Amino acid sequence: MRFKASIQNINIFTKLTASLNSLGPLAWVKLSDDQVCFTIIPEQGTQVWAVLSIDTIFDTYTVQSAAGNVINLEVPLTSLTRALKSAQNATSAQIRLTKKDNVPLLALTIVTPSSSNSYAAFPPQGIDSEDCFDVPLNKAFGGGSRETIVTQEVPVRVLGPDTVAGLHEPQCREPDVHIILPPLLQLKSISDRFTKLALAGSKPVSGTTATRTRLELAANMHGCLKMSIKTDAMSISSVWTDLNNPELDPTQVAGGEIGLAEHPSTRMKQLGTADGRSDEGWASVLIDGRDWGKVMSVGRLGGRVIACFCHDHALILYVYLPNENGEDESVLTYYISSYSS
Amino acid sequence: MVLLNFTLTPEAASKIHDLLVCLGKFSDTVAIEARRERFTFTALNSSKSAYAALTLDAANFFTNYECIPSQGGLDGRFTCSISTKALLSVFKGRLYDPLGRDGAIDRCEVSVQDKPDQTECRFIVKMVCNQGVIKTYKLTYEAVEVMHALFDRNVAKNRWSMHSSALKEYIEYFGTKTEMLDIFAGEGDGRAVFKSYTEKISNGKEILKHPLVTAIAVNTSDFEDFNVQPGLHIIISVKDFKSIVVHADTLKVSLKAFYSQPTRPLQFSYGCNGLLCEFTLMTSGDYNASATQTPAPQVLTRETSRASAAPERLDNRNTRSFEMPPPADPASRLAAARRRQPGSRKPSSPKPAVVSDPDSLFVEEDSRWEPLDYNQEEETLGWDASVEHDNASFPTFRDSGSAVVARTDTEGSGGSGATNFEAIGPTQRVSQIKGLW
Repeated sequence: MRFKASIQNINIFTKLTASLNSLGPLAWVKLSDDQVCFTIIPEQGTQVWAVLSIDTIFDTYTVQSAAGNVINLEVPLTSLTRALKSAQNATSAQIRLTKKDNVPLLALTIVTPSSSNSYAAFPPQGIDSEDCFDVPLNKAFGGGSRETIVTQEVPVRVLGPDTVAGLHEPQCREPDVHIILPPLLQLKSISDRFTKLALAGSKPVSGTTATRTRLELAANMHGCLKMSIKTDAMSISSVWTDLNNPELDPTQVAGGEIGLAEHPSTRMKQLGTADGRSDEGWASVLIDGRDWGKVMSVGRLGGRVIACFCHDHALILYVYLPNENGEDESVLTYYISSYSS
Repeated sequence: MVLLNFTLTPEAASKIHDLLVCLGKFSDTVAIEARRERFTFTALNSSKSAYAALTLDAANFFTNYECIPSQGGLDGRFTCSISTKALLSVFKGRLYDPLGRDGAIDRCEVSVQDKPDQTECRFIVKMVCNQGVIKTYKLTYEAVEVMHALFDRNVAKNRWSMHSSALKEYIEYFGTKTEMLDIFAGEGDGRAVFKSYTEKISNGKEILKHPLVTAIAVNTSDFEDFNVQPGLHIIISVKDFKSIVVHADTLKVSLKAFYSQPTRPLQFSYGCNGLLCEFTLMTSGDYNASATQTPAPQVLTRETSRASAAPERLDNRNTRSFEMPPPADPASRLAAARRRQPGSRKPSSPKPAVVSDPDSLFVEEDSRWEPLDYNQEEETLGWDASVEHDNASFPTFRDSGSAVVARTDTEGSGGSGATNFEAIGPTQRVSQIKGLW
């Protein structure tokens, strides 16, 4: 079993593991010849199934195993994120699967520029000319490599093919409404505020039990998204309009043109209005406010997010990572199930 | 009936804050020893594996310092112990602020009220703030005898020093919750390795909870000075090291390390402007040690322990210490090197020193993406819990046989050139303790 790769995009990798870590401590990582999958299945709350093309994060990538060159690992995300963060200023970073004292490890080897001489110019507002002097001084004395090498060892568990055979991506019916979400930072700050208000309002009533906040999220096929929260004391909602409902591609829909004509979203298009004031045409889900806050953590990756609403059933988010060459898009899929109202 | 009065500038008061934060990571109480010419804060941790002595020089650190102990003449001293938390609530952060914002002071006056005709003994701190506001704090103290750990630098042939900013960068790579730090001098590869790890080996599912193992290989030329026996491992507590480095970094000074061999104490020393900080830490045995390197037990005297441990190593060490330092490169070569590689590598700019949370790694510009912690009550005014006081979870060393942090034999050091012997003098006469041997 062999896995070795140099990390091409440390920034995206770090942000990815940090976002996933907010939903659960452990990830199932599946390494294969053409893609890398990260899956988070927490005991409760949102599942994430992420499929990344190799070149989104890696470079010079090798994976070999007896099971068809597929390696399945269970990885603690907190340690991995921490290890990746130490590579933020690295000139290069490598990751490989290895074993020490019979414990499998993901070993990161991070080469960072040696920086001791930058302290010669304290206070920190160093003048450029001084810095220019420091570098050749460094080279003259060091006579060779002037690098600090950081090795981070993340303990992992290797999962057998039979262990992961029972894990399946959730199946869901065709969505009633699909819509491109507004910037997640905006969405997150409003949902955080709502959740906080609801928690503050409910505290005196039930201080002992873990208070739950139910956020209602709804969208229509006319570019509207509504977020609302109701408690005994209040009811608040925010409505976004002029969002985009992407057109479905008939070749991608089961049944082609006919399937598209009978698609739930086509029916939903007949209902509701673009100003969001009509009571009709909304597909809504009831989700946990805290859990939603964790999901919104993915915003740091800066991808395009399409939300698919299955009324009263589930909300599925597709987060497309920015990619230069168009094809082989990397996508993170979030499965959020709706609470019954 | 001690007479102790001193005045601090805002800068000095904020240094007191910084050092108390550091000492708070070792112990819940700090001991104070005031002498005529110096004022010392000491702390000993609960497992007695770490001892800190931070000495403030009467002439350089204070604007005004007066101490006349009630007895003992010129060598007399006044000692007491005060809760670290209480002192920290007086010496808050931001005492020194050039812009004079909230919390800034004009000066700080401290006196001790210890007179038989007064009913209360108090340690009195007066913070004279701007706009004529004076905040007076009266702290209770406990009269205690202050013990000092002695450290003989003559024996500590292994030495290195490095700027605290570089070390601060390294400690940020360490994973949280690791316990041990192994400082290893490479054999012939010109590198030293700082490795943070945890000894506990767990199995099965638990293995994933095992903290990160981080090894940082540093060129010995990145040290300001590096003179350590090749192949020597020395192990200390990561938490102690972090606390020390973070404090040294507030002063922006170099940290010097002195040690002899595993299981013997190690000392970190740094300071500037009338503040001298010395931390004496217990070390544990060789990590991955071979049989010959097993150090002698601590009960032996120095001579025998040296003889039994490894005579060839001693020789090795001696020759090393007499080696000529490499000649400095002539300026012409520097200039040539500069011409050869014009801007081949961008100088790495110093990182902004922003870490408020001691456990955070680098500047966390991403925090807005973190799920909100709804348990945080920003509206509520709470007790400042910035001081860590979880001494209970402090890792203990394998070598816990003796509580004595440093040996107290002074005869040997007297003979062999006492110029390097900078430890605070013994508080007990040798003749008094002769009977013990």
